[in-house]
Amino acid sequence: MDKIKLVSRPVNWNKIEDPIDMDVWNRLTSNFWLPEKVPISNDIQSWETLKPHEKTLTMHVFTGLTMLDTIQGTIGAAALLPDARTPHEEAVITNIAFMESVHAKSYSSVFSTLCSTVDIDEAFRWSEDNPHLQKKAEIILGYYNGDDPLKRKVASTLLESFLFYSGFYLPMYWSSRAKLTNTADLIRLIIRDEAIHGYYIGYKYQLALAEESEVRQAEMKSYTYDLLLELYDNEIKYTADLYDGMGLTEDVKKFLRYNGNKALMNLGYDPLFPKDECDVNPAILAALSPNADENHDFFSGSGSSYVIGKHESTTDDDWDF
Amino acid sequence: MANQVIELDDNGVETGKTGIESAMSYHELNAMINLWDKDGKMQLAKDKLAVRKYFLDHVNQNTVFFHSLKERLDYLVENEYYEKEILDQYRFEFIEELEKLAYSKKFRFDAFMGAYKFYTGYALKTFDGERYLERFEDRVVMVALALAEGKEDIAISMVEEIISGRFQPATPTFLNCGKKQRGEFVSCFLLRIEDNMESISRAINSALQLSKRGGGVALNLSNVREYGAPIKKIEGQSSGIIPVMKLLEDSFSYANQLGARQGAGAVYLNAHHPDILRFLDTKRENADEKTRIKTLSIGIVVPDITMHLAKDNEDMYLFSPYDVEKVYGVPFGDISVTEKYQEMVDDPRIKKQKIKARTLFERIAELQFESGYPYIMYEDTVNKANPIQGRINMSNLCSEILQVNTPTTYNADLSYDQIGKDISCNLGSLNIAMAMDGPDLAKTIETSIRALTSVSDQSDIVSVRSISDGNHKSHAIGLGQMNLHGYLAREHIHYGSEEALDFTNIYFYTVVFNAIQASNKIAIERGSTFANFENSTYASGEYFEKYVTQVWEPKTEKVKELFAKSGAKIPTQADWKKLKTSVMAHGIYNQNLQAVPPTGSISYINNSTSSIHPIASRIEIRKEGKLGRVYYPAPFLSEDTWDYYDDAYEVGPDKIIDTYAVATQHVDQGLSLTLFFKDTATTRDVNRAQINAWRKGIKTIYYIRIRQQALLGTEVDSCVSCML
Repeated sequence: MDKIKLVSRPVNWNKIEDPIDMDVWNRLTSNFWLPEKVPISNDIQSWETLKPHEKTLTMHVFTGLTMLDTIQGTIGAAALLPDARTPHEEAVITNIAFMESVHAKSYSSVFSTLCSTVDIDEAFRWSEDNPHLQKKAEIILGYYNGDDPLKRKVASTLLESFLFYSGFYLPMYWSSRAKLTNTADLIRLIIRDEAIHGYYIGYKYQLALAEESEVRQAEMKSYTYDLLLELYDNEIKYTADLYDGMGLTEDVKKFLRYNGNKALMNLGYDPLFPKDECDVNPAILAALSPNADENHDFFSGSGSSYVIGKHESTTDDDWDF
Repeated sequence: MANQVIELDDNGVETGKTGIESAMSYHELNAMINLWDKDGKMQLAKDKLAVRKYFLDHVNQNTVFFHSLKERLDYLVENEYYEKEILDQYRFEFIEELEKLAYSKKFRFDAFMGAYKFYTGYALKTFDGERYLERFEDRVVMVALALAEGKEDIAISMVEEIISGRFQPATPTFLNCGKKQRGEFVSCFLLRIEDNMESISRAINSALQLSKRGGGVALNLSNVREYGAPIKKIEGQSSGIIPVMKLLEDSFSYANQLGARQGAGAVYLNAHHPDILRFLDTKRENADEKTRIKTLSIGIVVPDITMHLAKDNEDMYLFSPYDVEKVYGVPFGDISVTEKYQEMVDDPRIKKQKIKARTLFERIAELQFESGYPYIMYEDTVNKANPIQGRINMSNLCSEILQVNTPTTYNADLSYDQIGKDISCNLGSLNIAMAMDGPDLAKTIETSIRALTSVSDQSDIVSVRSISDGNHKSHAIGLGQMNLHGYLAREHIHYGSEEALDFTNIYFYTVVFNAIQASNKIAIERGSTFANFENSTYASGEYFEKYVTQVWEPKTEKVKELFAKSGAKIPTQADWKKLKTSVMAHGIYNQNLQAVPPTGSISYINNSTSSIHPIASRIEIRKEGKLGRVYYPAPFLSEDTWDYYDDAYEVGPDKIIDTYAVATQHVDQGLSLTLFFKDTATTRDVNRAQINAWRKGIKTIYYIRIRQQALLGTEVDSCVSCML
């Protein structure tokens, strides 16, 4: 590793080298949340209306998501740290790593609220035995452990912006049918975070890539498309494993392609999949909006829109009456 | 839901496909209105298609068919779906005519949201929840029959008013009327808690009973002694109000109305209660699980003195309710802190703490960013405007009910010693656009007041005696308003503009006149008034002062035209003088007449904008427990009205406050006022809005909503509500 990096540099937030660091930091910190915020227990009634195979699917989806967030929180984001271009970027990445761990824990809180221990254990066993889920983890872990910083960023962006979405589909689907709406709130908070993570790491990738030779740029480009296709092939099989029973596989695949294109956009590349193969079910697409424009009913849920406010004291002028 | 078709394979084994696929289309169509089409145009027509598809694919297929009305009613009565006693008050031929009248109006749902909400939440279903037994028209007829109490002419006017969309009863009334298995008709309950264990445990019991019956319940914690206060003179014993909040929160989540909706509760606390900061911190994002309050709403009672102390940047003293009650002999909540402030500060017998007044307001604003809470009630403003003898020390779950109460005391065996007066209120709202279009605004208001009065007359919550006693004495009702922004947009007026304020003022001025007149008529018919009328400012005539000494007329040409077009008569000073004389002579029947609720569900069914707020978004994304995500276009939205539909975040807090201020002067109770901020706002902006609201005479503030936009580069393509 680069020796110079070992010299300690205090992070000076009064001297910003890249304003995007500051923007993203502010956004991430004001978005801070903990799973306890969302009253998942309000979903218990709704959970009980699901058929057995629907429950199983939901639990499998959630163990899959837990797996990805565990990787991203403990290995992924940390692996990006040494490549940081600015001390502020390091700060942002540590925040990302922490929030990924919050996400992983959130899935557990959904589990423990809705399901019994036996079911949970069964679901975790499934995740350990599912070849496609394991392969997905293997591919990503391979790049995190490799020594190419650019490839690490690509892998991370594809994870954040692409691989999560086969799982995110389901809670959005349930929510558009009035099922598990509080769980969907929680997932939407996670999506809100992941959207920013993918965008940020992709942006840093583009900065780093611009400094490389043309040959290397071409190499990275074909590498990215290859990796996406490899992951996509695996993801299709994983999706079929999960969703065939509900007859939703084709619909999820459209969603995968849509997000695959988004991941490429984050990395500064052109979309791979043609637009008409990405016509995602509007109910899902509309449910996905990361804007906090949802007008929720306070009595049934906490919504996914509240933020930590900026503090500013009032002055005497404000109290002039 | 009910319509899930189980698909079987060739061997008759369940394939696991739920048949949701076939139901998908109307949800999809509805979601399309939140996305631009390929040419960047709105797809509003898709919502109409969604309504059609919903009826074809779902409602029609799942509605039980009857050959005749007779067959239908017999079946429903026999199987205990409808209440026989209600139908028995009328001739069958009359019910038949009334049904015909309702169906002749050709009612159609304008928005998918309205239809979906009605059939999911209101229509009578078979006991297994599988099939519908009512259409919208049938529900309206049943509500009218139940509320007219056997009077045919009144039943006819109620059908006319409701089916035309001019008057819409609140959810508990509209949902429950005429059903054999049902909750109560009343929306809202407010309970006192006194500083003793009997009262606290009774409050929890009442909270359970009332949420089981379907109302929102608010409780006043101001009287309860603070953390560390003595019990039986032993210091440091009391655990304060937080554990009481926990108990209440759990009670509310246990009791729900046949699963129809979760019990919902709120608690209020005076700003000068020593536990005030702990109270606020229960809503912190990172509060400890033991103290965190997730689903209970909180509100804070702010007297004028607090505002003045903050103005002078002074400390504010918090007073021990335990000591205050010992010194004054009345509970803390029944004392005007503003009036007694200096006296209590100087009294060594009262234990006190101090905090910086401005710090409190900053803390409130921080919390509002994180959670939307607390609500605020400006105590002195409320009491100055109160025409009834007594003190108002709390509000309700939606911060629009403002009535006086008195304490209940208990014997050692937990039986009642003296039953005090607690508060209930049943609500219903006018759709301003339809009411202005209607043939006769005065008649619309009178019919509405009669409908609400009937709900009060028919309510008898025996499980909570302080509520039933209070209701029998006060006959309090709350006539609300909705679709203000819809009406303004349709008439090409910007929300918060001079013309909008002029209209709001004259409209509410007209409503209050007709409401009092209707209540006066009822008092004359029955020869009775609410209890203690003689000590109200209605009886002294003081209430009418501003109406008989000032002239109230539209100031702008536009508003003059609107009223001329509508035919609605604006009362003159002479009209008021006549009404004043009649009221002073005969009284009014209802202790309270108006309260403007936030109107969630009913405004969707009624195709209105909520309350008198600006819209949250041109295409609103609504998430609710029972509905999931549904998209609701603003009523009358078109290319033509687009520009008049600035959303609440664009409109900003000042114009909302101005609008509410002109309305507030004509409303005896409160108005739920939500403030909307963009995420660029700071706690100072929120504080400034609170100060402005107080200065303008606003009585209560409901939620604070903050809108956060997606970071550039992370938004969903072609999403309508992402557009600024």
